[in-house]
Amino acid sequence: MGETTNLAVEAKGISKSFGGALALDNVSLDLRKGEVHALLGENGAGKSTLSNVLAGLYRADSGTVLVDGEEREFHSPSQAIAAGIGMVHQHFRLVLPMTVAENLHLGSPDTPAVVSQKKLVASARRIMDEIGLEVDPTAKVWQLSVGEQQRVEILRVLARGARVLILDEPTAVLTAQEAKELFAVIRQLVAGGRTVVFISHKLNEVIEISDRITVLRGGKHVITRDTAGATPRELARLMTGEELENKVEHNTSAGAPVLALSEVVARNHRGIVALHGVNLTVNAGEILGIAGVSGNGQTELAEVITGLRHPQSGSISINGTDVTRGSTRQIAALGVGHIPEDRLVFGMAGSASVRDNAILRHYRTTELSSGLRLRRSAIIDFAKRLVAAGRVQTRSINMPAGQMSGGNQQRLVARRESMIADRLLVAAHPTRGLDVLATKEVQSAIVERRDTGCAVLMISDDLDEVMLMSDRIAVMYEGQIMGVFNRSEFDRERIGLMMGGQGAEVHQ
Amino acid sequence: MIPFRFARRLEVDSRRSNTYRILGAIAGLILAGLLLLITSRNPFRLFGQSMEAIFGSQRGIEGVLVQSIPILMCAIGVALSLRMKIWNIGSDGQFLMGAFAAVGIGTKLDIPHWLLIILMALIAAAAGALWILVPALARAYWGVNEIITTLLLNFVALQLVLWASLGFWRDRETQVTQSTESVKAVLPRLPGLDSVSIAFIVPIVLAVVLFLVFRSTRLGYEIDMIGGNANAASFAGINVRRRIVGVMLVTGAIAGLGGMLQLTGAPGAQALSGGFSNKFGLSGFIVAALAGASFIGVVVAGLFISAMFYAGIALQTKGLSVYIIFGIYGVVLSGIAVGEMLARFRMVRRSEATSTQGAAA
Repeated sequence: MGETTNLAVEAKGISKSFGGALALDNVSLDLRKGEVHALLGENGAGKSTLSNVLAGLYRADSGTVLVDGEEREFHSPSQAIAAGIGMVHQHFRLVLPMTVAENLHLGSPDTPAVVSQKKLVASARRIMDEIGLEVDPTAKVWQLSVGEQQRVEILRVLARGARVLILDEPTAVLTAQEAKELFAVIRQLVAGGRTVVFISHKLNEVIEISDRITVLRGGKHVITRDTAGATPRELARLMTGEELENKVEHNTSAGAPVLALSEVVARNHRGIVALHGVNLTVNAGEILGIAGVSGNGQTELAEVITGLRHPQSGSISINGTDVTRGSTRQIAALGVGHIPEDRLVFGMAGSASVRDNAILRHYRTTELSSGLRLRRSAIIDFAKRLVAAGRVQTRSINMPAGQMSGGNQQRLVARRESMIADRLLVAAHPTRGLDVLATKEVQSAIVERRDTGCAVLMISDDLDEVMLMSDRIAVMYEGQIMGVFNRSEFDRERIGLMMGGQGAEVHQ
Repeated sequence: MIPFRFARRLEVDSRRSNTYRILGAIAGLILAGLLLLITSRNPFRLFGQSMEAIFGSQRGIEGVLVQSIPILMCAIGVALSLRMKIWNIGSDGQFLMGAFAAVGIGTKLDIPHWLLIILMALIAAAAGALWILVPALARAYWGVNEIITTLLLNFVALQLVLWASLGFWRDRETQVTQSTESVKAVLPRLPGLDSVSIAFIVPIVLAVVLFLVFRSTRLGYEIDMIGGNANAASFAGINVRRRIVGVMLVTGAIAGLGGMLQLTGAPGAQALSGGFSNKFGLSGFIVAALAGASFIGVVVAGLFISAMFYAGIALQTKGLSVYIIFGIYGVVLSGIAVGEMLARFRMVRRSEATSTQGAAA
């Protein structure tokens, strides 16, 4: 008896199939009160399916769910939440033009029929005090940062009385600082006796925040263990089922300079100066990694190089050609590829077919068009080749690209951009949101490009990735290059300090 | 609980979509028939009379074709802008301005008729383009919503036409008090037909040309990508602003040319008056929306809606109230729209239905 009371939720033998494919195969999971339980697995491992079953979005084909020792069956998310299980999805379900207080009360059975803004705000304050989480209740949601919006989502679920909170890849959308704040919130919640299910495929995070880890692979339960003593290497092996060699060959004898920036000053889209006189050189056959916390000018750096943004002053040249005010087309024609930070905003049109997205950089070439006419069969061939080479998993090249999973969208864009990058590849957060295997693939595609003599500028806010991939590292802070390190001088601590704006002599 | 639910299809081929539209139209007609039945009218007889009015004589068929020309011209322009996700609500105004400009020279110049026709066509297209120039620039450079600007310019165009027909270009010779003089040149009729002019060829050729442009040219691809995601198009080096302005001007020019074709081609429409455009722009908009911006679809839908309107006029002369006729239009068009929506979904058993959701999530 003593043991059951310690368990908040017990899922036994859950199976779920989708159109014949088994997404969950007899998976069991128990969640203790007051623990952070990480669900770890590759894309498609069944993490989301399992949590959607717990949260009442899907009904399991077989298996039982016990909440506080009592068997329950959920037909809807509201039934699950009434039983104490709530989920915060990766994509928020907030009404942007409405206030925090309004969002907290939206659809809640406890919201009175007649309300005033004053009542809602007062009630929101009460909820926040109870839970111990603060967001300005009168602020409109669109004015909040992503981290704050996530907090509103968490509040909304907890306000309905959830004792078990499922967070679906909560850090995927957050900056490093916001992630830190989220972890503080999670610790506070479990200290109050709640249970948090933390879904992720980022191993370091999972080791940092969780008490226990359950690994799923291909819809099957692999292991549940205490986090203490777990290593990233071991977890990666459990997730992928294979030993991954996390090693990149490095190049110490780089070629001639390809990209040169001199005293580049540029404003961001709000008109605030984001690059304060950047000097930077990237040579043929090397990967230059930009280390830095997001929002320190990296986005604008990639944009000025690729022609999406023009600098206020300074100069940029590629292979000796001045491109300071060049158009995206001129710069691409010089052999510059760009894996953009946000593939949905810049990289592709989700409603257009995979085929049309595949040819976006090549449709003007003589291979795909003659005069104004497009060669239809050549285009189909090209798209099929690109899809195969990039290992993009899609049912057909005529399918809307937006219907593919995020990982496959990224593979498509990464491969397409690598193909035009004869001289320079600008890769902004190329592996963000990808699972271990897909990350490996995109990384090796970048290394391959470098080995053909292409210069690579890689931006990432994941310092591990920058350290792993780069032949040289430049640290960026508040729109300036704080320092440049050769591979032999890599020093995690010094780089980390510079990312925070300390211990730097501004690099000339 | 209902054991079935709808799940979104990943791909919708045009064949399925068209079949569903036709089924939707038939369902709409059946529903309209039921409504007539419960208001104790005989739907079969009325349907028979409609068919008789359209297909019973050459006059009927020609009437449908004549009416379809202005609707098709407006619809083709709208469909073109829809490929770029731009909503040109102003084709009525551009249509009127095209006619306005054509009247300006068509009633004044004494030159050979063939030359006059060509000049009128050019100036009408230019006037239509000019009428959308400001909305196009505002949209391309400052992001001003084109729905509002193009819509409002319709009223300006209508006032200008009224002023011309009641004021500065009013016909002072004849007894007609509310229209301009008639233009001096008209288009020849198609061989063997009484009322259909060679104007009918223009929208058909335009539709085929645009179909080919979007099927197999770089320009068509660029426009489609801008419609899909203007940021991505710009990322790939497409000059989005220039394309937006260019496409919008062409849609205006097509509608303006439509005004000139009506003026020189339609029987009894050789002078400009306040009632010159019989909501052709609005009908064209409905046609483009129903056809899903496919140019061949626009031609089919345009002929269909034109036949439906023609039948409506015939039924009106048989004593059916105009409100009931509008009601029938609405039911039938809604049926097509619903059919178009349904084509994007499939019915699945409930347990399986959750699965497709899951696969997409």
